Amino acid sequence: MSKRWRRVITAGLVLAMLAGCSGNNGGSNGANGVGGETQGGTDGGPTKFSISMRTLNVSYVEKNPDINKDKYVLELEKMTNTDLDIRLIPHNEYQDKMVQMFATNDIPDVVQGTGGISGPELAGAVENGVFLPLNDLLEEHGQDLLQFIPEEAWKRMTDSKTGNIYGIPEILSNPSRRATWIRTDLLKKVGKEVPTTVEETLDVLRAFKEAGVEQPYAGRQNFKYADTFFGAYDVLGYLNQFKVFPDGKVKPSFFDEENMKKAIQIYKTMHEEGLISKEFATIESADFKSIVTSGKAGMWSMNANELPIWGTQLKENVPEAEVALIPSPVGPDGKGGYAHYNPVTRSFFINAKAKDKAADIVKFFNWMVSEEAELYFSFGIEGEDYQVTDGKPVFEVPTDAAGADKMRYLNYWLWMVQDTTYNKRVSELSDSGKALIDAFDHMLASEGRRGIEFDPRLEAMVKYPELTPKSDELPPLILEHVLRMVYGREPIEDYGKVLEEYLSKGGSEIIEEATKRFNEKENAFE
Amino acid sequence: MADRNHAAGLGTLKNKRKNVLGFMWKYKALYLISLPGLLFFVLFKYVPLLGSVIAFQNYNLFAGVTKSPWIGLEHFERMFSHYDFLKILRNTLLLGTYDILFAFTAPIVLALLLNEVRLVLYKKIIQTIFYAPHFLSWVIVSGIFVGILSPSSGIVNVILGWFGVEPIYFLGEDSYIRTVLVGSGLWRDVGWGTIIYLAALAGINPDLYEASNIDGAGRWRQTLSITLPALLPVITILFLLKIGDFLDYGFERVFVFQNPLNIQSSEILDTYIYKAGLQQLQYSYATAIGLFKSVVGLFLIAIANAISKKATGESLY
Repeated sequence: MSKRWRRVITAGLVLAMLAGCSGNNGGSNGANGVGGETQGGTDGGPTKFSISMRTLNVSYVEKNPDINKDKYVLELEKMTNTDLDIRLIPHNEYQDKMVQMFATNDIPDVVQGTGGISGPELAGAVENGVFLPLNDLLEEHGQDLLQFIPEEAWKRMTDSKTGNIYGIPEILSNPSRRATWIRTDLLKKVGKEVPTTVEETLDVLRAFKEAGVEQPYAGRQNFKYADTFFGAYDVLGYLNQFKVFPDGKVKPSFFDEENMKKAIQIYKTMHEEGLISKEFATIESADFKSIVTSGKAGMWSMNANELPIWGTQLKENVPEAEVALIPSPVGPDGKGGYAHYNPVTRSFFINAKAKDKAADIVKFFNWMVSEEAELYFSFGIEGEDYQVTDGKPVFEVPTDAAGADKMRYLNYWLWMVQDTTYNKRVSELSDSGKALIDAFDHMLASEGRRGIEFDPRLEAMVKYPELTPKSDELPPLILEHVLRMVYGREPIEDYGKVLEEYLSKGGSEIIEEATKRFNEKENAFE
Repeated sequence: MADRNHAAGLGTLKNKRKNVLGFMWKYKALYLISLPGLLFFVLFKYVPLLGSVIAFQNYNLFAGVTKSPWIGLEHFERMFSHYDFLKILRNTLLLGTYDILFAFTAPIVLALLLNEVRLVLYKKIIQTIFYAPHFLSWVIVSGIFVGILSPSSGIVNVILGWFGVEPIYFLGEDSYIRTVLVGSGLWRDVGWGTIIYLAALAGINPDLYEASNIDGAGRWRQTLSITLPALLPVITILFLLKIGDFLDYGFERVFVFQNPLNIQSSEILDTYIYKAGLQQLQYSYATAIGLFKSVVGLFLIAIANAISKKATGESLY
């Protein structure tokens, strides 16, 4: 009995070890083999590398049983002579999974980040030498990238102390991405012109209310995508909205007490008069979308490039609906708009351990900005998704949901380095697309608010999360009081006291550090 | 004399050891079967405990536990000196208390009620309806509650409207949020909690009821004198286990209901750990707060256990 037991266990252990070892060997052999090949580069075999990518809520990606066997990935591999091993990172667990990846040291050859070199998802990987400095490689193999990507974006990828470039950025050439939307059919119905100032906008909203619109202005939790009036008064106060104040100090823009009070008063008035939902403090993104697309809202704020999609959905529900992007209402300084986005949308870092293949990886990204890539990622595979007649590509924009999913995947997700403002080739083919291009180039380009931004973020902010602004939300402490004021639970006159509270709870440390870093030009962006 | 005693002592010790080994040998199959379970607990419960040392370090992801610098009690000082620490602790304690007052007692009452239902089919249906919500995630539970508590379209405010009450923004007020939190927890888990009690109730000897019937005891008398005493050991054990979790109200169930209008009453240690620790990559700080919670839980459980041992004779260990 005992001998048999021992044998069983020994056999089990041996099997486990064999399985473990052979797995490892197989893996490293494969990697080594390919590494050797590409280093030599003589036999022209495909460059094999792994890359982690956030799914970005793209349903084509999330529903795909194996993205590495997807025909568009295979085609991409063929065109670039590579063999990708894409590792998907779930959109909603992005930061957790990224940190896990770094903590277990299971880091792919290429890591996709969002924004600069010190985002929280990178967990300090750049400072800790995980990634390769790319300056020389770009000089040698990435000339097209260097030309295509503006200086401003490269700066975000550069450690200002050493001058090392650590990542290849995907860019947003027009950082004014959000727009004010209005139902022009309702506007006609109430006989009003497109409003330009805050006062005119309130008039229009009141007229909408009288005409029976349920939510004249679509509100949302924490003023996310509902910050039109904070924008008009230039008091958005987000991470990239620091300003030099008259006293010479660099503070978040919500320190502009006078304008902030006016903006809060606007929201309070809207809440009292029912121009915004009474329960906007608990309306989440999905509800927000359904309120807009079911025709309950008259005016709202949303990313401009959603125009073709949201517009279509709205029309399906409310056939007579007409929607347009209009210039955002302006405040006392004659300007308005929303917080500008970071000029870098996604960024790609190369693992220091993948040094052998780094040159080929840079070439892969360099190809992304070529004309061939533009055509492929805009339309798809020739002969299947589009035809070429008389030397010109002929493409029809798909109108069904599956087609739209596929376009989003190709145009936006799989095309790793591009200008993400809008897809030129596709947008030019439809009326709503043309309206979009027009809005971006002629209207949005001249609006929006931006201030000073720090990247890596201020150290004091890590210490005081309740005082730290988010990328599109006020700091929790300020937001709490502002919402109470809008809901009439605190008087607006007390806003000065809120600022004092902010300073006393650690805000003065944030301002001190911000002022110092701005004056010393240490990773501060304007 | 002394020598002989010594020898005898050694002898019994040897015997004892022999006995234990012999005992183990005799039941070697059982020991082998329990091995994976033991390994599981050592590997996944005890080894990770060692990771708590990062509460005393400035943990760096890339340096690891061995190379991160030691900083002593700094994180604990930071936690206790935080301007909102007392408020957060108070919220945590209040929610814990309400949870024990309502969420712990409700399943007992429900189990007793269900036990009195005579129609088996009816009982099963009711039981299923009660514990179905347990399988919903908190995100869905919060979605349902946001819907039914909505001031414009929620059923609760519609009913209140019949009695002339102005719509109440339940989720937007500090004064209602704890009720909503405890209430949603009650709705989700009350049925699930009855399972153990129902099992215990099924184990009560029916002879006792019969005998008391003959003695002329009514339903109420029976419940007080037979059912409750029979349930008491189970209640005590479950209560002791619950006490250990006093500060662990749970992150997700609170986080999904939070918004800036109710944060003054809804911020608890678990949500603070998430915001100040995990989101900011302050792992050491988060661990320090977690450790504080665990130590308090351990003390509570030890105290409650000692009291219960003295008072009822029931105890965990």
